[in-house]
Amino acid sequence: MPTLPVPVHETIHPALWRGSQLAPRTGRCVATGHPRLDAELPGRGWPAGSLVDLLLPRPGIGEIRLLRPALASLPAHRRIVLLQPPLPPNIACWTAWGLDPAQLLWVRPRQPADALWAAEQILKNGSCGALLHWQAPVPHSGLRRLHLAAQSSDILFFMLRPSAAAGAASPAPLRLALEPARGGVRIALLKRRGPVCEQPFIVPLEPERRPPVPAPLSRHATLDRPAPAPSEPGRLAPALAG
Amino acid sequence: MLDDERVVALTPAAARQGVQPGMRRGGVAAIAPGVLMLERDPAAEQAALDAAAQAVLHFTPRVEQAVGEHSLVLDIGASLALFGGPRNLGRQALARVRALGLRSRLGMAPTPAGARLLACRPGRRVRRRVLRLPALSPLLDTLPCPLLPAAGPYLDWLDNIGCHTLGDLRRLPRAGLQRRCSPALLQALDAAHGRASEGWRDFVPPAHFLDRCELSEHVDRSDAVRHPMDHLSARLCAWLDERQLAATRLVFGLEHERGRHARPPTSLELALAEPAWLPQHLDGPLRERLARTALPAPVIAVSLDVRDLAARPDRNAALFPDPAAIATDHGRLLDLLRARLGAEGVAQAAARADHRPEVANTWTAGPPASSGRAPPPPSVEPPCWLLSPPQLLDVRQDRPVHGSPLRLVHGPERIESGWWDRSWTLRDYFVAEDDRAVRYWIYRERDADPARWFLHGMFG
Repeated sequence: MPTLPVPVHETIHPALWRGSQLAPRTGRCVATGHPRLDAELPGRGWPAGSLVDLLLPRPGIGEIRLLRPALASLPAHRRIVLLQPPLPPNIACWTAWGLDPAQLLWVRPRQPADALWAAEQILKNGSCGALLHWQAPVPHSGLRRLHLAAQSSDILFFMLRPSAAAGAASPAPLRLALEPARGGVRIALLKRRGPVCEQPFIVPLEPERRPPVPAPLSRHATLDRPAPAPSEPGRLAPALAG
Repeated sequence: MLDDERVVALTPAAARQGVQPGMRRGGVAAIAPGVLMLERDPAAEQAALDAAAQAVLHFTPRVEQAVGEHSLVLDIGASLALFGGPRNLGRQALARVRALGLRSRLGMAPTPAGARLLACRPGRRVRRRVLRLPALSPLLDTLPCPLLPAAGPYLDWLDNIGCHTLGDLRRLPRAGLQRRCSPALLQALDAAHGRASEGWRDFVPPAHFLDRCELSEHVDRSDAVRHPMDHLSARLCAWLDERQLAATRLVFGLEHERGRHARPPTSLELALAEPAWLPQHLDGPLRERLARTALPAPVIAVSLDVRDLAARPDRNAALFPDPAAIATDHGRLLDLLRARLGAEGVAQAAARADHRPEVANTWTAGPPASSGRAPPPPSVEPPCWLLSPPQLLDVRQDRPVHGSPLRLVHGPERIESGWWDRSWTLRDYFVAEDDRAVRYWIYRERDADPARWFLHGMFG
């Protein structure tokens, strides 16, 4: 009796993958700029048009530096929205990173409900390139709604929430818990479309030290210039010879 | 309706009670006590005529309001092909005027004066449309003399000599007629027959939009005001459509009760970053702005005044999204966010050239700007977040403490600036690290003893 061939799962549906594999790329993905992290993410980058949960013990542990290469790769005409950040953003920092500060939009609603509304409007509008949304307690329905709104756009949508939210369910297909670490940030992948990632790994972030600023003297042009070619006797300039 | 204490217009119901034009107020009150008498309001009449003129500007840029009589003359010679012929155009024009709640009659003729005479022709189901000049004269000849305004002072005399129609008038000897009457009469007659040209004064529509909507009852909930506001903004959009313009600032006035509890109207301003002309673009910001507004008193009327207008941007019909369309979308997003969060809720970077971090880090509600050149970059990467105001740190054993004692990693970077204004700053900045390898940007005040340490920034 002939046995039916086992169909290859990719031929059944493109969104199907084995539990031991990373999910194939489904939408647009933006490279994170950190090879170690890229290797662990389905689609080899941050998924655009999808809710990405970043869980932080407290703000300022390197989360922005982690996102920085992806934000820098956005086209210049698309804005980066900082929605309800815990502290006022520093323009000088973005300038030092080589990002145009005019790209930034700082949205500070007065009430948490306004922040969720603003996030949904920004996602629906779709003109911005990235949305970084800080929010402490979010109802599950709110998360689902934001995830749905994100799916209709191609915005990089990160939700930065306290670590306490790690235990709660989330519709986000990608959830990362960040911990401060020396020279980088320790990442635990709580949820991804792929096999369980048991071990947290450290993503080294580039050192904060900038290349040494040249000494003030070296700002001036050097005096060693090539001397003008010596005029040869007996040869007139073409203008004179005319 | 009374003008100068005499009845000038009346409803059929009043006529059935015996009221007649020309009666005095006392007479009307005596024979029909139940009749409501209203004073004639020339300003309201003119406003209605202006509204009608604006409505018919849709068909032609050349519209004339006849002075003293309630008629509009449209030069439609150039518009016939566009609107599907004279019959269709006439029907559409009548529909537009009817939509304003006005009753009108339409006459059509090759000459403006002729068309006006035909429109004024009394009676139902009479011919009012003539398209060719040879057919016009016989028709005009049958019209009664009183239709011609210039004949007004001489009507009795004309009646006495048996001259009842314009045809009779035309057959009179011209020289005698001109001597006995004014030259204006002959001119008007000639103009109607197309033998003399008339002056033409184009109706110039006002350069801004002003409209008002009375509410039938007192409204004290802000969401109930939305309906009249939507109505006004729909009218505004129609008005903008006619002119191919877009609005950049809308001012709604919510008028409150008059009398003893009179209050000035509440003004509701909607500034748009992206000029809008479609109701769906106005709708969102308007809804959010209104939800943020609390009404101090019941509202009896809503007005809309739009003075800030911009030309519509030229649109490119592109298949793929282009940056310009994204910028437009972004402008609409900003309008929407500002409407709900307030102007201060949406900030854009406006860096200032200053060495003091808190001065350099300026955010504005307006468009992003950068004043002057940026200060030279510091030797270390600046922190991602700035605390405002800086947080005073505890000092334990001469070391600043934030959770755990901080270790200075980099520094000092000395900032001494601002002696020209109040905030003279003498600081040494350090990058510090706590025992969990989180970095902070802290500073020590140099002019304080013992040293005070402040946390000023966090590295993202």
